[in-house]
Amino acid sequence: MPEPSTPPDRDAAVARRFDDWIRPRLRAMITDELIAEHERQPLGQHSDALERVLNYFRRQPIPDKYAIVCTVPDREWRICRLSGRRGVGPALIDDEVFNSEEKAHHAVFLRRIRDLRGS
Amino acid sequence: MEGMANPTILGYADRLSVAPGDRIRFMVSCEEGDRYRADLVQLIHGYTDPAGPGFKERVVEHPLNGERPGRRQHPRSGSYVVVDGGPDPTGSFSLAALLWPTTPAKGVQGVLTRWSGEEAPGWGLFIDERGRAALWLSDGRTVGRLSAGAALHPRVWQAVVATFDADGGRATLAVRPLVSSTNAAFGRLVELEAPPAAEARIAVRPTPSAAPLLIAAHDGPRGVVGHYNGKLERPRIVGRALSQAEVERLLADPSTDLEGALADWDFAAEIRPAGVPSLRVSDRSGNGHGGRCVNLPTRAVTGHAWDASEERYLHAPRLYAAIHFHDDDVEDVGWEEDFSLTVPEDLPSGVFAMRLRASNDEDHIPFFVRPRPGRPTAKIAFLAPTASYLAYANEKIAQETAVGQAILAHTPVLQRGDVFGYEHPEFGHSTYDLHSDGSGVCYSSCRRPIFNMRPRHKAYTGSSLWQFPADLCLIDWLDHFGYRYDVLTDEDLDREGVDLLQPYRVVLTGTHPEYVSTRMLDGLESYLNLGGRLMYLGANGFYWIIAFHPERSGVIEVRKAESGSRAWQAQPGEYYLATTGERSGLWRNRGRPPQKLVGVGFSAEGFDVSSPYRRLPDSYREEAAFIFAGVEEELIGDFGLVGGGAAGLEVDRYDLALGTPPHTLLLASSEGRHSDGYQHVVEEVMFMFPGLGGTQDYQVRADMTYFTTRRGGGVFSTGSIAWCGSLSHAGYENNVSRITRNVLDRFAQDDPLPPVRRATA
Repeated sequence: MPEPSTPPDRDAAVARRFDDWIRPRLRAMITDELIAEHERQPLGQHSDALERVLNYFRRQPIPDKYAIVCTVPDREWRICRLSGRRGVGPALIDDEVFNSEEKAHHAVFLRRIRDLRGS
Repeated sequence: MEGMANPTILGYADRLSVAPGDRIRFMVSCEEGDRYRADLVQLIHGYTDPAGPGFKERVVEHPLNGERPGRRQHPRSGSYVVVDGGPDPTGSFSLAALLWPTTPAKGVQGVLTRWSGEEAPGWGLFIDERGRAALWLSDGRTVGRLSAGAALHPRVWQAVVATFDADGGRATLAVRPLVSSTNAAFGRLVELEAPPAAEARIAVRPTPSAAPLLIAAHDGPRGVVGHYNGKLERPRIVGRALSQAEVERLLADPSTDLEGALADWDFAAEIRPAGVPSLRVSDRSGNGHGGRCVNLPTRAVTGHAWDASEERYLHAPRLYAAIHFHDDDVEDVGWEEDFSLTVPEDLPSGVFAMRLRASNDEDHIPFFVRPRPGRPTAKIAFLAPTASYLAYANEKIAQETAVGQAILAHTPVLQRGDVFGYEHPEFGHSTYDLHSDGSGVCYSSCRRPIFNMRPRHKAYTGSSLWQFPADLCLIDWLDHFGYRYDVLTDEDLDREGVDLLQPYRVVLTGTHPEYVSTRMLDGLESYLNLGGRLMYLGANGFYWIIAFHPERSGVIEVRKAESGSRAWQAQPGEYYLATTGERSGLWRNRGRPPQKLVGVGFSAEGFDVSSPYRRLPDSYREEAAFIFAGVEEELIGDFGLVGGGAAGLEVDRYDLALGTPPHTLLLASSEGRHSDGYQHVVEEVMFMFPGLGGTQDYQVRADMTYFTTRRGGGVFSTGSIAWCGSLSHAGYENNVSRITRNVLDRFAQDDPLPPVRRATA
């Protein structure tokens, strides 16, 4: 009899298979124009193609998910990854410092594109 | 986190609202060093972004101001029951309880204990380090342990009975799962075998224990530890070793009464028509060993017998004889008082803080000074939405909810307070978070450092404001134009009702007065019917049904029921507030949509950019002329500190079907101007279909409305959280500021508002 205390969750396999299906489709949507559109306006309404890509990025699971952290109020922003473990704060990914939230938003977007292309 | 300095000074006060002559106590922890400076300040504006007027506070001269010695204090979290005195069997005895553990694998958890460590005499029923029910005994030299043959199942009711026969040194431990169709993580189709009964010889003769008798925790050298996560029902101590037949009968029917009970705690005994707010638990053995709850465990939760036949615990207390304990419940982190302030008689009503400074760091402990009851000092009152501040206290969505970034429609921008609060869950959670065992947080208390209820705190929604710091934009605007105002809080309104508001010509809300009690709503409604005027300068207000704790000030309770934009949903059968017995959830589901009170109600939310309103024909009617005097533009609020517009974050809509008074003027709306990051609220979506975002749904909008009430009263609503972020634009000279001034100046006059006629076409 399986031990109900620690049930293997078969849902994770479906999530992976779905991811394998959707990522190539999203990769094919990444163009220079799409990236330029995001750089022009990181927040607000975008083209349907860019919205679709962003919707995927935004709903990824928390562990290792990118976030922005304001390290000097009103002046400095950096990119971090979330831990997904309460009690453990985010970890900065590198030394790069941005002087506006918008630039940090776009830098996160570029990282996510790179990760998507790398998979 | 690396790259960000931790706060060096932290603190909290024992209350949020004080009047002249009242005493407020401050608790401080110097995280570094042993000295700090405290100064009483009046808060004016918090948002430090260079685009706005900047941080503003005024130091209030007071003898308390100055350097003080400090030390580090450690927060205490986790709920339990302590029984003063209580039985301490030194001969044969038995322990029994019903357990619905939520984290049996998390490590040692006390269930029913007198235990402060192996080296001291004690005994107890535990969950051991391998997740098994266990009986431990110590005489201070020898420790005897007996564990069940298998780990407890999470989220399954299990009867546990341990016996100890002192004469023979024989201990037994039996566990029986009690799965019904409704009471467990899964149904009756899953076969759960009871582990074989455990038995052992334990050569320990218990001697009197110095440890306190605790339920759901055990004592330790530095305070209470070993907190139990999960529900617990009917723990009891019997002064003899139960026979095998008695154990069997108890496992088969856990409601069986036992002869010789030394203590028998019945958690349903305090259920009354007005709920189960009591912090006491009763002993039904007749021996008078009642206990007291610490750190607000959750009552009014389903017990092992809950069969879905009744959802209102008042009607069936026997089905609700459980308490849910959490290792991260916080009602008071338990710091020692550093100093107290008796509010000076000449201190004006306003928003104040005790400013703490140490090692190049600063903290503010905000509090609200109201006038003495019945002694108003202004015609204008700001009703600080302290219930909503508490609801969001130390909120963690951005760092642990997978869809958080999808809701925001962007990557969150974390501030130091967000990060520190996440790294230190011992300071407790918001009603948007889950406990460490995954159950929703239904209580929030002011007696702990609250990192996002600070004047400088920015919202992680980006360069943006939320709740307390957002409301300071309104305080700053009142201050800029020299208005005299009194400050009142939600809890004052809850306690005093309409009498609190009646002296004022006009009451201003905050930007997001989302959490309201019955008495608050009744008070506001009665005030308006007596000719009062309300300016609702926010959105998603009057939404969740809450109650203030009747025994502990500064504590709210909410149960997030099966509708609404909710971060969690209460377990089936747990929609009723322990504090009052009322059904919680959304006010619209109890016949009081916000539209009935203020003309508009929650319609959509999004957190990327804000938008302007465009005027509608009603804004040119004679009755509205005073509102738009001096406003030439069609677009209202195409600027602002919050997302660049006055209509944004959460937005409300006029809706006759939801109770907007029929004569309400719809003055302006932001329809068609929001992104798809703004989605129509879930409680209005009966079926899912594509196209519920701002670019496709005309009801994704903020509406500005105005209507009058009898005796010359009236309500002006902006239906947008972002509104107050636009007040200071262009040196406070802009159409958002102009409209707000026009309405406030007229509402503050004594003569009645001319009634708005019911529209005919």
